[in-house]
Amino acid sequence: MNRHLKMAFMVAPFLGILGFIGADYYSENQAAKNKIIQLVPEGHCDIINQSCVLKSGEFKVNISDEAGVTEVNSTFPLDSATLFLVNQSDQMTPYPLGMQKSPYYWRSPTELRSLVGEKGASYKLRLIAKIKGGQYISEFYTQTTK
Amino acid sequence: MENKETYWSENLRLIFICLAIWFAVSFGLGLLLVEPLNAIRLGGYKLGFWFAQQGSIYSFLVLIFWYGAKMNKLDKKYHAEG
Repeated sequence: MNRHLKMAFMVAPFLGILGFIGADYYSENQAAKNKIIQLVPEGHCDIINQSCVLKSGEFKVNISDEAGVTEVNSTFPLDSATLFLVNQSDQMTPYPLGMQKSPYYWRSPTELRSLVGEKGASYKLRLIAKIKGGQYISEFYTQTTK
Repeated sequence: MENKETYWSENLRLIFICLAIWFAVSFGLGLLLVEPLNAIRLGGYKLGFWFAQQGSIYSFLVLIFWYGAKMNKLDKKYHAEG
């Protein structure tokens, strides 16, 4: 092994560490940029019967309602979550959800059960879930099947 | 004296080539172009991911030996073997 090879082997780890720091800095900057991603329902959405999942890649949101309290449960921790009930005239009623136990669970009392409590009833909803570096949005319908 | 300066400038040129390849492989292929490269699969792995995890390290090893060999030649050319 000649002296240049020895020198190169000594310098290489420092360049490696420099690259690691640079990559981390770049990735952090990229992650901080605001992105808007759309969530789509996975199959039929029936919030009243605890069967409503919205999905985008590995991120999933489960929405359910129990005794007039609507709950959002996500696979990644959220910074905030707001549910909107949208009537036939496209007027929205916002329900900012409050965090429960952990940033994976968010809930609030809503009017949803009184609007779609009966079998066959459906209603339009919108959801905005904020997460570090972006927000997930969705417009979907819930329909009570039983 | 002139020989020493040419030797040093050729050495610097090699170092800059190595640094440019180091940057292109680690940041270029492993980070900036990771999304388009991920469309290509290499042995079941996404190519961009592979470059970030292993490919860049293999390239660094190749660079070390290439630099060593080139410097050896330069030493012989300028009779600078120590």
